[in-house]
Amino acid sequence: MVNPGGAYLGADLFLIDVEVEAGAELLLTTQSATKVYRTPGSFAEQRMSVRLGEGSRLELLPDQLIAYREASYRQNSRISLHPTSSFVMAEVITPGWSPDGGEFKYEEVRLRNEIWIEDGNSAKLLALDNLLIRPPVNDVTGLGFMEGSSHLGSLVVVDPRVEQGLADQLHEVTRGFGAYTGVSLTATIAGTTGLVLRSLSNSTEELNTLLGACTSFLRERWYGQEPLNLRKY
Amino acid sequence: MSATYQLALQQLTDSALPTGAFAHSLGFEGYIERGLVGDEGSFGVWLSAFLGQQLTYSDGLAIRFLYEGADVGLLDSVLSSQLLAREVREASLKMGGRLLEIGGEVFPSGELDAYRELVREGSAQGHQPLAFGVIARSLGVPFEAALSAYLFATVTSLTQNAVRAIPLGQNAGQRVLRQAHDAVAAAVQDVARLCWEDFGAVSPGLEISQMRHERQRARMFMS
Repeated sequence: MVNPGGAYLGADLFLIDVEVEAGAELLLTTQSATKVYRTPGSFAEQRMSVRLGEGSRLELLPDQLIAYREASYRQNSRISLHPTSSFVMAEVITPGWSPDGGEFKYEEVRLRNEIWIEDGNSAKLLALDNLLIRPPVNDVTGLGFMEGSSHLGSLVVVDPRVEQGLADQLHEVTRGFGAYTGVSLTATIAGTTGLVLRSLSNSTEELNTLLGACTSFLRERWYGQEPLNLRKY
Repeated sequence: MSATYQLALQQLTDSALPTGAFAHSLGFEGYIERGLVGDEGSFGVWLSAFLGQQLTYSDGLAIRFLYEGADVGLLDSVLSSQLLAREVREASLKMGGRLLEIGGEVFPSGELDAYRELVREGSAQGHQPLAFGVIARSLGVPFEAALSAYLFATVTSLTQNAVRAIPLGQNAGQRVLRQAHDAVAAAVQDVARLCWEDFGAVSPGLEISQMRHERQRARMFMS
């Protein structure tokens, strides 16, 4: 997916619709980082709607998000899965960039993912992954929030094969990294379960390597596939 | 004469109410293990982060939306799906289940019966802030009084747990609680001005600590 116009600006609204039909497999990534420039008095927004059919598979692996000084950004994703579909999403949020070298100079970053399980006529909410960072309002660097780290990584996996043993194994995979990481499971709905991993670090590269180790682990375990090498740079 | 609900609200928020709150640190035990929480001051820092973030954005907003008439079944499913750290989700359901049971015996009402019925038939799970909100509302407790009482009751049981776990002196625990008064008042104000999109916003550090607790070796608490 090519990032439009180099960057997102105030009042920009990007709509992305992705449908992975029954039995299909898709690997979706971006061409470069998502950059959000100053959005004075406004905000940039991305709304993504993703639908996965029966037995389909999606790996959604965008490059990192960079919000510049005085940027406000809202990203809303609604992901609808069939109980048999397989979904892997990894994201990295950076502290942004400003001319004085300071971090967290943006106004607001809001990333909200709703994951629904659709089975016949019923849709049930499996996970609401809601991240709201507002540096001017709260001290986001301290205990409880970023805890001295600058970068945040998230991995969300939904698949009928997700279970506690897998969460424990992925936690083992992350042990070799300096990043501070937690892994846990959602409830189970219609036989499928979500796994959420969060990680705090001071570098995009470390988080990309850590999240890459996790997605590679899943590719090998579930499909006997090699680790991804997207060769973008 | 005090308001008619006064004694009921005191009973409902008494730390002796047997919901099992003594068994949950809701993540601070991990901070003790990492050496980041170890005295009155550092526990106070964690407590105000927890109150200003998770309690405000999850429990506090759930109680507000319930008071504003949102469907309890919908709020229940959103809480289940946004408490992504398993132990904290289970803590909310364990304490919520006890509160529904106790409430059914001592503060019965049609609204409470309706929520209990949803839980019985499996279309809701039974979360603590919603069980509290349904009972408080049925007793005629105004929103702000109910929310302050709920937040302060949670803060109180967490502080009592910290007094045992860190350990802190009993008087230190009381000083922490007195310090928390302003933070509770600020949280009540925050809850009033947030919106639906804010519901369940997480604080990464708190959440990771709650997730890691699942694998912590030596532990006194279930969460």
